[in-house]
Amino acid sequence: MSGRRSVGGYVRAVRTSPVTFSLVLAFAVGATIVAVTGQDPFLAYREMFAGAVDGSGLRNTLARSIPIVGMALAVSVAFRAGVINLGGEGQMVVGGLAGTVVAIYTPGPGAVVIPLAMIAGAAAGAAWALLPAYGQTRLRLPILITSLLLNYVGRAITGYLVRFPLADVSVTLATTRQVPETARMPKMPVFGGVSLSIVLVVAVVAGLAIVYSRSVVGYETRMAGYSGRFARYGGVPVERQTIGVMLVAGAIGGAIGTHLIIGESLRFIDGELVLSGLAWTGLLVSLLAANRPVFILLAGLLFSGLQIGGLAMQRNADVSWRLAQVLQALVIIAVASRLTLRRLRRREVEQAEVAEVILEPAHVGEI
Amino acid sequence: MTNELELRGITKRFPGVVANDAVNLTVRTGEIHAIVGENGAGKTTLMSMLYGLFPPDEGEILIRGERVRLTSALDAIEAGLGMVHQAFKLFPTLTVAENVVFRDEPTRRGFIDRGASVARVRELAERYGLAVDPAAVVERLPVGVLQRVEIIKALYRDARVLILDEPTAVLTPQERDMLFDIIRRLRDSGRTIIFITHKLGEVMAVSDRITVLRNGRSVTELVTSETTPAEITRHMVGRDVDLGKRATAHAAGDVILSVRDMVVLGEHGRPVVHAATFDVRAGEIVGIAGVAGNGQSEMIEAITGLRPVERGEVHLGGADVTRAEVATRRSIGLAYIPEDRHGVGTTHHATVSENLLLGHHREPAVTRRGWFQPEAVRQRSGGMVARFGIKTPSVSAPVATLSGGNLQKLVVARELDYAAPLLIAEQPTRGVDIGAIQFIHDHLLSYRDDGGAVLLVSAELSEILALSTRILVMFEGRIVAELDPATTDEPEIGHFMTGAHLDAASA
Repeated sequence: MSGRRSVGGYVRAVRTSPVTFSLVLAFAVGATIVAVTGQDPFLAYREMFAGAVDGSGLRNTLARSIPIVGMALAVSVAFRAGVINLGGEGQMVVGGLAGTVVAIYTPGPGAVVIPLAMIAGAAAGAAWALLPAYGQTRLRLPILITSLLLNYVGRAITGYLVRFPLADVSVTLATTRQVPETARMPKMPVFGGVSLSIVLVVAVVAGLAIVYSRSVVGYETRMAGYSGRFARYGGVPVERQTIGVMLVAGAIGGAIGTHLIIGESLRFIDGELVLSGLAWTGLLVSLLAANRPVFILLAGLLFSGLQIGGLAMQRNADVSWRLAQVLQALVIIAVASRLTLRRLRRREVEQAEVAEVILEPAHVGEI
Repeated sequence: MTNELELRGITKRFPGVVANDAVNLTVRTGEIHAIVGENGAGKTTLMSMLYGLFPPDEGEILIRGERVRLTSALDAIEAGLGMVHQAFKLFPTLTVAENVVFRDEPTRRGFIDRGASVARVRELAERYGLAVDPAAVVERLPVGVLQRVEIIKALYRDARVLILDEPTAVLTPQERDMLFDIIRRLRDSGRTIIFITHKLGEVMAVSDRITVLRNGRSVTELVTSETTPAEITRHMVGRDVDLGKRATAHAAGDVILSVRDMVVLGEHGRPVVHAATFDVRAGEIVGIAGVAGNGQSEMIEAITGLRPVERGEVHLGGADVTRAEVATRRSIGLAYIPEDRHGVGTTHHATVSENLLLGHHREPAVTRRGWFQPEAVRQRSGGMVARFGIKTPSVSAPVATLSGGNLQKLVVARELDYAAPLLIAEQPTRGVDIGAIQFIHDHLLSYRDDGGAVLLVSAELSEILALSTRILVMFEGRIVAELDPATTDEPEIGHFMTGAHLDAASA
């Protein structure tokens, strides 16, 4: 229930936001690094920016932002409620394979098979997320640990399945068959072809933003994220809520995994989904955006642009694309240290507060 | 006799509260000095400063006549102080000896000398009659033994002054008696003991002298052999707030809350509430008196659904809610002003409006099919702020900006707004100023007059006497007396609160 803010208020909020500070700091440090190695930082940044938005760059940036924003949303749903779900990768892989199997083996027109595949992926991702959720609510096993470890289990199981029962024996890779033409996620004729999945991602962003700001469930999860004791005291069924947010997080992860196959790779190749660390980039994005959906969209586009632009920068300015990763890391370090400093300062005042590590809730206000 | 330790005019302020206000404490060499006071009286703050955890704002600390500045626990250890905390600070997977010598290991040619550690620990244990096996792994030991390990740890560092913070909270009666023997033996060997507690029976049993803290001030110093539990209670509870008896006789109505043979377990899996049985009827205020830590908090948590009921039953408005969720109990009709208004009653990250909403947030007045009606929410919060005089710049201000008294008004406003048949008010006026106390008392009384049933838990006997229709006294997890405020007085309640009636019976 945030109050309305004036234009001046927004300007002030942006200027004093730790995110603005972090971005400026990260790019400044990045420029220094480039300059120290004897290259021109302005050229590097210009090429990076151009590479992210010019020509096919924009299409690639948008394409990459789909899984980054998606995985960030999955993380944020749980983090907001104080549930530390680090199982995004496993949920993505397990859901991705389930969706792929439906896409390959279900006959019928695309209009039926594609939604069916996405639903199957979401369901499988949700089911996978249910394991650590029950572990926590029934057996007191922390989700933080179990969800992380189940990533490896998920990778191993899908690795086995694509090597044996689902293997495409006509190629030497550990992979499924190719997704048939009719079951592929269509591309929209904008910016040279952007997957229809981006509409889904934007819809989820909008949906979550509304749910968070206006619904009882959004309110309850946020209060639980602020203080579990307060929420329990007020009658919020915190354990059921944990199950619920894990289901939603897993479903989003599973759907994103499915999209990556039926919209991009077209084959589920063992290990490919986890190769580019999308789930972890998503986690960083959610952290940067303080778990707020609209900010996740913006931060996701930024990180996606950094990654795509980084490749162009390497091509045209001869600066390693790894600079993009360095920038991402710097932004996060700067944000995290700002929050930690704030907390330390506050602790001097309050003296007795227990630190929550990465779950600092929204620091500027609501969405 | 010399003074081992002297604190002069120690003051410590936290935002909104003065935790210690010009506290004086004089501890003589070779005595057992008890520091008593209720929760929130400032005992822990005082000891934390003595142990170097944070500096006092004003005042000075003298050890054996010398002024010292303690900036860390290491300074305190250096100065000969040893602290046995309420929560033990031990490595569970290491042995007793390894824990004791940690950071100060005996070495031989640069390597830790395990044999010497074990021998040194065994020697200390035997000298003071602390039955501990130096080779035992800590995680397999019962809490009573862990405490002895902590004591050995302090002795190993040559602590001349041992500070024991609520040492008996986790002990069985047998372990407690053993601890007392150990404490006496340590004193007889010339060491000085500071014993922090709120249990008067223990103070009488083991201490030589007593300093009483109340509301952050040191109110008196007593010699144990010349005082009585009743006198100590009087100093602890005080009479600052005397709002007079305002309970008028009311015809009690239907039974709203019924508790039958309820057993509740504490953090350590031991029963802390033993077979509690009582009713609260419409139109009455039942006051629960007791020294803090005698099972009141756990009993209330069990009634409100925050802690499981081990045995027995709880009925609310005729419905069995023994196993019901918090939300169910709230919708049947339970409002609850919790003791911990910062950690439980509010969350400082959220706004005034969001804090006022919790618990009501599924009511049709503010929601439609799971969606908030923002205008209704705003009006409702604004109404509560106005009606209860909560001082805040706006309903969308974060509650972190509210003062303690205002925060309590917020909690009271939210809970009274339910008009639930049962209101549980736990320490509703602790730490708020006299104006707010008056205000909260008025509201509790009018709640009762409107036919509400109120269960009031308070450490302030004057509050219990002023408001209650009936008084139940809790001691060591049992309801030991039911008293009529018209015919009882503070000494009589104090008599039951301290368990003195048991001594009288057995004598």
